[in-house]
Amino acid sequence: MGVVRIAVLMSMAAALGCGSDAYAAGQSATADGDWTMPSKDYAATRYSTLAGITAQNANSLHPVWTFSTGVLGGHEGQPLVVGDTMYVVTPWPNVLYAFDLTREGYPLRWKYRPEVSANALGVACCDSVNRGAFYADGKIIYNLLDGHTVAVDARTGREIWKTQIADLGNGETATMAPLVVRDRVIVGAAGGEFGIYGWLKGLELSTGRTAWTARNMGPDEEMRVRADTFKPPYEHGANLGTQSWGNESWRTGGAPVWGWMSYDPQLDLIYYGTGNPAPYNAEQRPGDNKWSTSVLARRPGDGSLVWAYQFTPHDNWDYDATGAMVLADLTVGGQAVKALVHFDKNGFAYTLDRATGRVLVAQPFTPVNWAQSVDLSNGRPVLNPAKETGASRGNIKGICPSLEGGVSPASPPAYSPRTHLFYTSTNNLCMDYAVRHAKHLKGVPFVGVVSPYSAGPGGYLGSFMAWDAAKGSKVWENKEPFPNWSGALVTAGDVVFYGTLDGWFKSADARSGRVLSKFKVGSGVVGNPITYRGPDGRQYVAVYAGLGGDWALIAGDTRSDDPADVRAPADPVNEIARHTSQGGIVWIFAL
Amino acid sequence: MTQATVACRARSWRLCLASPILAGALLSCGQPHTSESQAASAAPPAVAYESHVVAGDTPPLGGSLRNPHDGDAAVARGGAMLFNAMNCDGCHGTDGTGWVGPNLGDGRWRYGGADAEVFNSIYYGRPRGMPAFGGTLGVEGVWTLVTYLRSLTPPPNMPTESWQN
Repeated sequence: MGVVRIAVLMSMAAALGCGSDAYAAGQSATADGDWTMPSKDYAATRYSTLAGITAQNANSLHPVWTFSTGVLGGHEGQPLVVGDTMYVVTPWPNVLYAFDLTREGYPLRWKYRPEVSANALGVACCDSVNRGAFYADGKIIYNLLDGHTVAVDARTGREIWKTQIADLGNGETATMAPLVVRDRVIVGAAGGEFGIYGWLKGLELSTGRTAWTARNMGPDEEMRVRADTFKPPYEHGANLGTQSWGNESWRTGGAPVWGWMSYDPQLDLIYYGTGNPAPYNAEQRPGDNKWSTSVLARRPGDGSLVWAYQFTPHDNWDYDATGAMVLADLTVGGQAVKALVHFDKNGFAYTLDRATGRVLVAQPFTPVNWAQSVDLSNGRPVLNPAKETGASRGNIKGICPSLEGGVSPASPPAYSPRTHLFYTSTNNLCMDYAVRHAKHLKGVPFVGVVSPYSAGPGGYLGSFMAWDAAKGSKVWENKEPFPNWSGALVTAGDVVFYGTLDGWFKSADARSGRVLSKFKVGSGVVGNPITYRGPDGRQYVAVYAGLGGDWALIAGDTRSDDPADVRAPADPVNEIARHTSQGGIVWIFAL
Repeated sequence: MTQATVACRARSWRLCLASPILAGALLSCGQPHTSESQAASAAPPAVAYESHVVAGDTPPLGGSLRNPHDGDAAVARGGAMLFNAMNCDGCHGTDGTGWVGPNLGDGRWRYGGADAEVFNSIYYGRPRGMPAFGGTLGVEGVWTLVTYLRSLTPPPNMPTESWQN
């Protein structure tokens, strides 16, 4: 942007009185005003260089536009902004809206309504969620709940290709956002509660054809493991994906892929986490169950596995590792490190060397009692034997965190290279856990647990916090009356944004946590805020309201859409329905 | 009931389903009340949906199915175990109180609460995610589940949720 244009914009802004002086001062000509991939960038930082909104002016943030999506399922995920168009994917039935940001009221350019099987609603374990789309090569690419990936022309809304990736009849659904690297569209399937044989696929960007399929467990060949190129940091040997599963339990072992992916172009590695092993009764699957509840690093071109690290060997607690793997260059113990940072459901925050998978730092970020620590010499948790579960062990009480996780994998963190801090929602819940022998039956759940929740220690149920991943320590924390389920956004204005389960959308000072603004957005927030520069040059912040995900199940009294399904409030969130109910709304805020 | 017993009974239900004509299976196990013309046809017995509005004053021809175990507490207890063994709780929650699938203990029914309607929901499945269990459970297994579900007593004052402070 030239100097003259900046001057014109500044004078226009001053004349309009829209408070854009800070915008003009904070923008650089290279600032990236779009949001074209789910986590903003390949490193999954959810950090924007836009700096118009600052700790000094954020108190004047206010809504400038809203849109009802017409859909009631949990609105996880986030919009995309590409140029002057905003794209919104709804939960099932997975409508794609394209809004014209150049015109008053942002009317639609088009909407795309794919045919999606309603049967998927009974196969998706945890509400009809969708975690968003990816823009690449002029296409908006996303997954349909019934196990298809679609590519839609970003300009016209015309369907370019549609590929079946998952088998609904076998318990697979698709809720994650794809990742596109070069000519590969990387996708996976949910179904850890249905005993799927978990996998990742690479599709061809131009045609949607499946280029490769890589299992997350099973024989080396099916995992795309080669002895000469697979170097896990702590294990060695052939066929770890079958040797670590007694009774051939890997065949129905789960290890789904439904979270977030990241990519390091220098190392040419994609990173993603796998979900829980199935069933919940760990005694049915003796061994570590590799590579469930793990982070895997693969080559995007052919899917070959380069390293893998398991956060929770022989998972006893449904501690999926599908949360984001954020890539950041940190200084750990005086050493410059290409790090991967992950907040796990198991309550530990991990800082790994992303070239090798070795654990550098692992500290609890929320109350944890299933393990005492993580042994950095072998990467394994030091277990608390009193909290191990199994069908022969009866009801194990007071396990922290609950199976909702210290943070939900649906709630991705953000990282600011300015503050060198990570920002994340947390849950402070514990659980009892009584499992029984489960029988695998194709197409129905493979779970077998009774696991009521209770409030964690400290008298709060969730929080939003800042975390120093080099040290493994909390910097500040805003406690919330309910579990916190939104993703995080941080900007070069040193402002963080997050929503709450009871429906507040908040901005806070990234350095202190001081809340700068809050607004009640009509439904609980389980989505992830984004920011972008509009066609008018101003900085905007967008977020979905739309309570759901696990909260449509746990707090069934927040639902009002079915007179044939009335539920009592559930402990310990028996007040949540007082503050919110379902309903999908897109919100846009500005100064 | 032990797991072994459940498996054994499941096998016998499959045998029940394996009879060549489904109508025959329903007739022998479910005691349908159908018109003679329907009974004579090879088609499965039509079920009259009690919860449907009838267009005009003339309901379509249809029979109803009667639960052979209606009110049998021992069968209901077996149904509670079958509910877990078939992973029903994975969708409908512990004790059927609702999870991703609807609450089955609130006395309300999305597809009707008459014996035949609940039977059909389980046997043939329903849109929006209810799988068809008839092939796995057979007629007797489905009636066992129906008996359990109908033994659940809705809590009093279910419609109202209030906050006092």
